[in-house]
Amino acid sequence: MNTFRVDQEFFLDPQRCIGCHACEMACAECETNGQFPMIHVDYVDRYYTPQTSVQICMHCEDPVCARVCPAVAIEKDEYGIVHSAKTDRCIACSNCVNACPFGVPRKIEPMDLMMKCNMCYDRTSAGKRPMCATVCPSGALFYGTREEMARRRPNSSPVNTFKFGKQTVKTRVNIMMPKGSTELVVDANG
Amino acid sequence: MATLPASVESLIARFGPSLNFPNPEGIAGRDEPDAVVKTHCCFCGMQCGIKLLVKHNRIVGFEPWEEFPFNEGRLCPKGVQRYLQNNHPDRLMTPLTRVPGRGFDPIGWDPAMERVVSEIQRIQSAHGNHAFAMLSGVSLTNEKSYLVGKFARVALKTRNLDYNGRLCMVSAGAGNKKAFGLDRGSNNYSDLAHAEVIMICGTNVSETFPTLTHWIWQARDNGGQLIVVDPRLTPIARTADLHLPVRPGRDSALYGAILHQLIKRDWLDHDFIANHTTDFDKACEAVADYDLDWAERITGIEKAKILRAAEMWGPARTSFLLHARGIEHHSKGVENVLGCINLVLATGRIGKPYCGYATITGQGNGQGGREHGHKCDQLPGNRDIENPEHRQYISQVWGIEEKDLPGKGLTAYELMEAIHRGEVKGLLSICFNPLVSLPNNTMIREALEKLEFYVAIDFFLNETARHADIILPGSLHEEEDGTVTTAEGRVTRIRKAIDPPGDARTDTSILLELAGRLGEGERFRFQTSEDIFNELRVASKGGTADYFGITYKKIEENMGVFWPCPSEDHPGTPRLWEDRKFRTPDGRAHFHGIAYRDPGEVTDAEYPVILTTGRVVSQYLSGSQTRRIGKLVRQYPEPLLEIHPALATRLGIRDRELVRVSTRRGAAEFPAQIVETIREDTVFIPYHWPGKKSANQLTSGHLDPISKIPEFKVCACKLEPTGKIAPSPDESKAWASA
Amino acid sequence: MFATLNLLALLSASLATLALVVSIYVGSRNLGNFDPALIAYLFGCIFACFGVVYRYTVWLQRPPTWRYFSRGWQLFFTGKAISYGWELTKHFVGNFLGQNFIRKRGKSVGYGHFLMAWGCLLAFAVTFPLVFGWIHFGLKPGGINTYEIYVFGFKTDEFPLHTWIAELIFNALNWSAILVIAGVMLMMRRRLTHAGQIAIQTFENDWLPLLLLLAISVTGIGISVDNRFMEGRAHQFMAITHAITVILFLIWMPFGKFFHIIQRPAQLGIAIYRRAADEGPQAVCPHTGEAFLSGMQLSDLKHVTAELGFDFTRRDGKSHLDYSPCGKRALLARAHLKARQKSGHLFG
Repeated sequence: MNTFRVDQEFFLDPQRCIGCHACEMACAECETNGQFPMIHVDYVDRYYTPQTSVQICMHCEDPVCARVCPAVAIEKDEYGIVHSAKTDRCIACSNCVNACPFGVPRKIEPMDLMMKCNMCYDRTSAGKRPMCATVCPSGALFYGTREEMARRRPNSSPVNTFKFGKQTVKTRVNIMMPKGSTELVVDANG
Repeated sequence: MATLPASVESLIARFGPSLNFPNPEGIAGRDEPDAVVKTHCCFCGMQCGIKLLVKHNRIVGFEPWEEFPFNEGRLCPKGVQRYLQNNHPDRLMTPLTRVPGRGFDPIGWDPAMERVVSEIQRIQSAHGNHAFAMLSGVSLTNEKSYLVGKFARVALKTRNLDYNGRLCMVSAGAGNKKAFGLDRGSNNYSDLAHAEVIMICGTNVSETFPTLTHWIWQARDNGGQLIVVDPRLTPIARTADLHLPVRPGRDSALYGAILHQLIKRDWLDHDFIANHTTDFDKACEAVADYDLDWAERITGIEKAKILRAAEMWGPARTSFLLHARGIEHHSKGVENVLGCINLVLATGRIGKPYCGYATITGQGNGQGGREHGHKCDQLPGNRDIENPEHRQYISQVWGIEEKDLPGKGLTAYELMEAIHRGEVKGLLSICFNPLVSLPNNTMIREALEKLEFYVAIDFFLNETARHADIILPGSLHEEEDGTVTTAEGRVTRIRKAIDPPGDARTDTSILLELAGRLGEGERFRFQTSEDIFNELRVASKGGTADYFGITYKKIEENMGVFWPCPSEDHPGTPRLWEDRKFRTPDGRAHFHGIAYRDPGEVTDAEYPVILTTGRVVSQYLSGSQTRRIGKLVRQYPEPLLEIHPALATRLGIRDRELVRVSTRRGAAEFPAQIVETIREDTVFIPYHWPGKKSANQLTSGHLDPISKIPEFKVCACKLEPTGKIAPSPDESKAWASA
Repeated sequence: MFATLNLLALLSASLATLALVVSIYVGSRNLGNFDPALIAYLFGCIFACFGVVYRYTVWLQRPPTWRYFSRGWQLFFTGKAISYGWELTKHFVGNFLGQNFIRKRGKSVGYGHFLMAWGCLLAFAVTFPLVFGWIHFGLKPGGINTYEIYVFGFKTDEFPLHTWIAELIFNALNWSAILVIAGVMLMMRRRLTHAGQIAIQTFENDWLPLLLLLAISVTGIGISVDNRFMEGRAHQFMAITHAITVILFLIWMPFGKFFHIIQRPAQLGIAIYRRAADEGPQAVCPHTGEAFLSGMQLSDLKHVTAELGFDFTRRDGKSHLDYSPCGKRALLARAHLKARQKSGHLFG
């Protein structure tokens, strides 16, 4: 039975990430992705800083990954979740991997299959919180209601509009920005 | 004769470490477990709540325990993967006996026990009771810690019992006792939430206590500012409002200089100092000359930053100071701790909401373990083994004559030295891997080789236990009931989830049987862990760490109870000192005059670089458990030498080049990781690995004169590039290095 | 997909259907060899042909699909396919005949799918020529012990009755049914026990196809069982239920999960594409400094995204797509840090 809680949302805050990889380990525990982690945690540039990036699927309103898929293997469901490639269709061309502006999908080489974060559909569809957001020790990943977030983080605003060059991308997942922000401009010269 | 019975390689091939990965096709039974057991992580002092999934007497997975108040489901990677220590191919499941030339052969419990007892009796009758020593560890529950303490003193009748907490927070314990008369973090972590300024000193919270990060971030969401003192720019230091990259071994100079500024600018709580403290004048006197120029010269921190720290700390209304091994692992660890406490006392910000101070105890039961059991100078309830009243009370609880209660023994490192000198000839160890975790481990290996008889109780054959004559397969964390006391002082329930597999037994039953065979069965009549806890409650009654009012039921109902809790109707004490009644003899908190002195070893022309050691997030202590869990090993496969580009350039070291690091104790090669996030005069190596990859081949045996903690955090080294680029980390077998 | 009429698809589907009808007419010698009992199956096949080609054409017209499709043939005709003969053969044997890549996704899905796929392919190989009247069998005149096989009306072979060869040939559909049933059982067990599958499966996509295959196979075997052991008493029922399930399968083919059987050979095109891409120049990520993608795929991807209406051009003239996935993630983390730093607080 599907008990997806539509009142809950995902909130990401990369500056809180301490690079511990708990999310990645927990993600891999999910049986839908067979011990492959779908979340990404990387050093931004270890030479200069221990800063890490943490990236889950942002579940775009108009997912580029799905649009560039030659096999129509990627679908968005009624809750706005963009699912992993359908195993019967995916031909492992890795278009999605390289087109996603957030760098999310992974190609699992030996399986000839793309897999990506589906916001722990096994858990969220059963009313539970995604594994990564449940274990994240530093609140870089948070899953809950908008009200709960506003209470916890009174001086930040959730933003779901991103600019990659000229392209505006709107997502289901929010990123926590300084209060009053409306978009995140991702462009080295932006 | 405890040299290795076979080649290291053959022992590794048979007993590991080998890596346990979950089955990629899924783990049967996880979706329909037989039981979901609410317990705690087996690793650090945070003791995060976690639910273990059990199927057919195996742990098949975990589920976050979101209701547990400290971590609310949050975990670090070690916690997420902890379930894989269960059902591990390396698990010891039968007693083993050493067979030279072959390694170890299985032996029944009865002959194993008989051999152990006869060897103990032989050594003790030939060389005296204290020639047989015991080493223990604080991954053990309160019940087992208590049992170990009683077993060593009553059944083994030796004074030489110490534990791996000696490498953990004994400096903090000693400092806290001197200043407050009691050894516990003064506040629980919820007091961090609205602290205006948080100073964390020598603690890489983001890697060693990841789940504590949440509480610090919470304060910052509420506008709180963060000061981090660390020679490295750790992930938490990256975000700090002020990072003070202190030169290793110079910490007390920094705290002295900040106190100097507080006095100079009169950021002092005069009422508190006058009414509730003593010896402020001594503290002032000691730092009278510690001006900013002096401090910059000693600590290597720009004076503007030191001043800024004082400006942030001084006038704040609320604050919290946390410290850990970074300031405690020093030959002046206690002085560093007291230097920090001086800052807290001077501003009077303690014993009030959001005004706190605490050491972050490192090991799972570092807090409870040291209170009740296996510290060479302590008796249950944090009592002093040399205090006649305390001795009398405990003797009466244990049903022995006070004169038969042994006195203070040697501390862990000193004990190994005594073995090396041939004064101690027999050893029983449980839950301790000194060959990886003690400094100067070439000496440790020689000492082990000199033992006449060594028996180890453990669930994996750790590097030290390879030297044993008899190995008794004990139990994992999830195989026995009990309690632990977290770094906050919260007593929590560890629940048994499964039975030990094969012929392995619970640690408790092993110790009880040994006690019986040593003729002391009368005094060890426990049926359950709760029986032991109930005796512990009585033994701790009236001590500073008073557990008398804590019961299993009460812990379960409240998801933990903070000691002191002197009576059953007492709610426990999350925040100490609200009553301003300190537990020192005069009831006041004590300042201490802390004059700066150099660390045990300073750099010179031959050894010109400072070496400091520490941890990474994916490994825990000597790695006996975490070096056996596949994904944790893959996360950080081998110890790297962190080095600043300026120093690397000067020495001609390239990234990932193998660098030969030598100290007065030994030499080893590590791949260089060139990063700007460390001081130019300092290099860092994490210490979780054994054999040739062990950082503790290099560290020094200088001890703090009071706490006897070894100086892991500073020594002098020399670096030489070898010209060889290290193979890819994926090819590294450092986890099982010979 | 079928919501608006696609003229090109309509045209190609009509042509393909016409071609099929003509080839049936010719192949069965002006319907002389056509078995009228199979007429319902025939209409199912013709519908499936129309539907499959229609959908395939619509599919091909998607910009990314078309790019791969045209690129694949372009490489093929420039001789790449021939020079990559070994690569293609390896891929064909390993991933098509052997289905190795599925086994790497999991043992039970690997073996289950292998059994089902070969059961189905065997059944197709028998059913279609029979239904189209391209193949028929006849007793060799002058005896009752030898059977002859006719292909397109020409005699190609003969074999004696009551031998294992004969059993093998006559029961080919039963063997295929047994393979399919075994495969379906493995797949169903997985769908009932694997927590991950349970979480994301749907009836329409995951259970219906299995149930349909099971129904086809069971009723198919039922016909034989009835013939052999029940003297044909249930023939009518068995024949009708079998026909219904098979025709459902054929009609559903263009719409549902089974369309992947038609799509899957595209993977061979990808194999050539990838090989050609690997040998060409590689794109280097400005962030990591490492090659992450072939220049060909990157340029194709830029075209495709542009055709789809995305514009990732940055102010510095580069495209966001010039960055590797890892580089893109770092850019975002950096941009976020910058925004936080600008506000004066990393937290809040």
